[in-house]
Amino acid sequence: MPAIRPASKRKAPPDGFSDIEEDLLIFGNKMKDAQNTPTDNIPKHQAQWPIFQIAHQRSRYVYELYYEKEAISRQLYEWLLKNGYADAMLIAKWKKQGYEKLCCLRCIQTKETNFNSTCVCRVPRAQMKEDQDVQCVSCGCRGCASTD
Amino acid sequence: MVKSTYQPSPSVLQPLPPGWTEHKAPTGHTYYYNADTKESTYKRPGVAPPPPASAPPLNPHEQQLRAAPDCPQINLSDRPSRTPFMAQYGQRKANSTVAIPGCEPWILVYTKYGRRFAYNPAKNASYWRIPEKLMPAILELDQARIREKAEGRAPADQQQTEPGDNAEKPATPAAEQPDEAAHDYDSSEYEEVEVTDDEDAEDGQGEDGNARKRQRTEESPANDGPAEFTEADIAAQLAAMNADYGDIEMGEGGEDWEEGDEGLPLSDEDARELFKDLLNDFNINPYSPWEKLIEEGKVFDDARYAVLPTTKARKEVWEEWSRAKIQELKERRAKEEKKDPRIPYMAFLQEKATPKLYWPEFRRKYKKEDPMKDPKLSDKDREKWYREHINRLKLPQSTLKADLKKLLESVPLSALNNQTMASHLPPQVLADIRYISLDPKIRDPFVEAYVQGLGAPPEAGEAAEQEDDAAKKARDDRRKWEKALEERERAVAEEKRRQEKRVQYERGRLRDEERELERAMHVGKRGLQSQLVGEKGEAS
Repeated sequence: MPAIRPASKRKAPPDGFSDIEEDLLIFGNKMKDAQNTPTDNIPKHQAQWPIFQIAHQRSRYVYELYYEKEAISRQLYEWLLKNGYADAMLIAKWKKQGYEKLCCLRCIQTKETNFNSTCVCRVPRAQMKEDQDVQCVSCGCRGCASTD
Repeated sequence: MVKSTYQPSPSVLQPLPPGWTEHKAPTGHTYYYNADTKESTYKRPGVAPPPPASAPPLNPHEQQLRAAPDCPQINLSDRPSRTPFMAQYGQRKANSTVAIPGCEPWILVYTKYGRRFAYNPAKNASYWRIPEKLMPAILELDQARIREKAEGRAPADQQQTEPGDNAEKPATPAAEQPDEAAHDYDSSEYEEVEVTDDEDAEDGQGEDGNARKRQRTEESPANDGPAEFTEADIAAQLAAMNADYGDIEMGEGGEDWEEGDEGLPLSDEDARELFKDLLNDFNINPYSPWEKLIEEGKVFDDARYAVLPTTKARKEVWEEWSRAKIQELKERRAKEEKKDPRIPYMAFLQEKATPKLYWPEFRRKYKKEDPMKDPKLSDKDREKWYREHINRLKLPQSTLKADLKKLLESVPLSALNNQTMASHLPPQVLADIRYISLDPKIRDPFVEAYVQGLGAPPEAGEAAEQEDDAAKKARDDRRKWEKALEERERAVAEEKRRQEKRVQYERGRLRDEERELERAMHVGKRGLQSQLVGEKGEAS
């Protein structure tokens, strides 16, 4: 999740940016708010959950505009990726079977985890115990298996 | 009536009988006290010494009440139709309750929005739809209300003379107000939702907690059901009802949508179209994410939101709609002619640019304006044009005019002619710095005059001659290619001819040789002798 370059330091966006500018601004403001809220009285592992979530939402927004609705041009899509509006690595995973709803990249990281496995949010709902409600440690995801 | 509801009657002016003194209660009311009889009353003792019945003696508890600084005036003359709580809180004009005469445990509760429901505190059940058996009683109640209202303020005078009724007056309009509202939409009064109370325990608690406290302040004989029904209970009831109600309306998998819709089942297609209509009507941005639509919640209030049973279905329809809408927008945009981005910037410059501001100041001042943000123009260009424009503003008028004339002359007749409207000048004029540097007050008449003096638009044949540069260039290119091709063909033909000549020459030589050979091979009968003779002859 690299920072978005300021408008003055980047190339002019391709055509069609004005259509989505407003929504991206809303996401940007949300992200700023999330970054600036104090994290004194929440558990340490939860401090970054909102940031992960907003980054996911924004990436998803760009992904859907380009791949599903075909609303933006390839140039604009690439420009958005380059300027940090969406996470290209995460989008790359969404294109793979079984990862269509992946919440964040940290949740499929198997190395240096306690059980050398992916996060609990990757477990399909069907395989969980009845009424077991989980929120994963890294991003607060409640389940992102493709079958859910 | 803000200060005190008590108004002295005309007889007040008469002097007090001996033994009586006038006092003011902390609430602002005047009351009268007789030190001899230890009697106190709100009613001014008149000429005729007041009979003990008309000025009821207050028991110690009540006296205490009156003396208490914060205690509001409470109607102690009890009426079965109003709960004491109403007298206390009637001013709020919020929720109110009315006991239904004849059907004792039942009470009619008015909500803040003028709707009402029947509540039975004994069974702890409430119904939006008024039960059948209560209908006549409630109708009677309504009629009584209307009659009372028609009579107007007549009874108000009566009440003024009775201090006992004072506290009741604020309650009366409060109780009437929701009633009026309720009459306006009669249909909404009798809705068909039955609310069964699941939260008995909670409700009971609330009733105990709140009602007991209130009860302490008064001792009304009607202490059963209605008396214990407090505002908190109304709120709790409403909450319980809303919980059920809301679930139905927003329900994810609920099969009944809105009550009104139960009669006419919509086909799936219709429902989808209706939902799309809703999206169109609310001017939803098709590029925005679904979450934004949900977060804003503007569409929830519309009845069409509920035509689709689940949020999933709604999202599906929204996706379809947004895809179609974006496609439509794209097509429309493609059809629109491309506008030169310089035109709005130039117009903006003409309006705002002033020699008093340097470019950085100007840019900072107007950075929010659209022409200054247009991504199609680079900042460098903008700066260049700004500086140029400012410099040109200092030039004398005659120069500017001459420049503008030159500009207008440079435009071909097909673009600018005597049929051009002043508001539709060609873009190459509008986007030029020379056009904006002259003050519009002078410029517009000047341009108009110039346009009038121009010839008619050229004919189609002539127009064909004056093509765009691009077309001309293309044609030139083509001609060049053709020429090159011709040259090449000629070269090839020459080569071919040369080659043919060579072939023919070779062929001739071959033929000669063949002939010689043939001659050599031709040997007669004398054969070798003749040759030898020849050789001999040569030798000799």
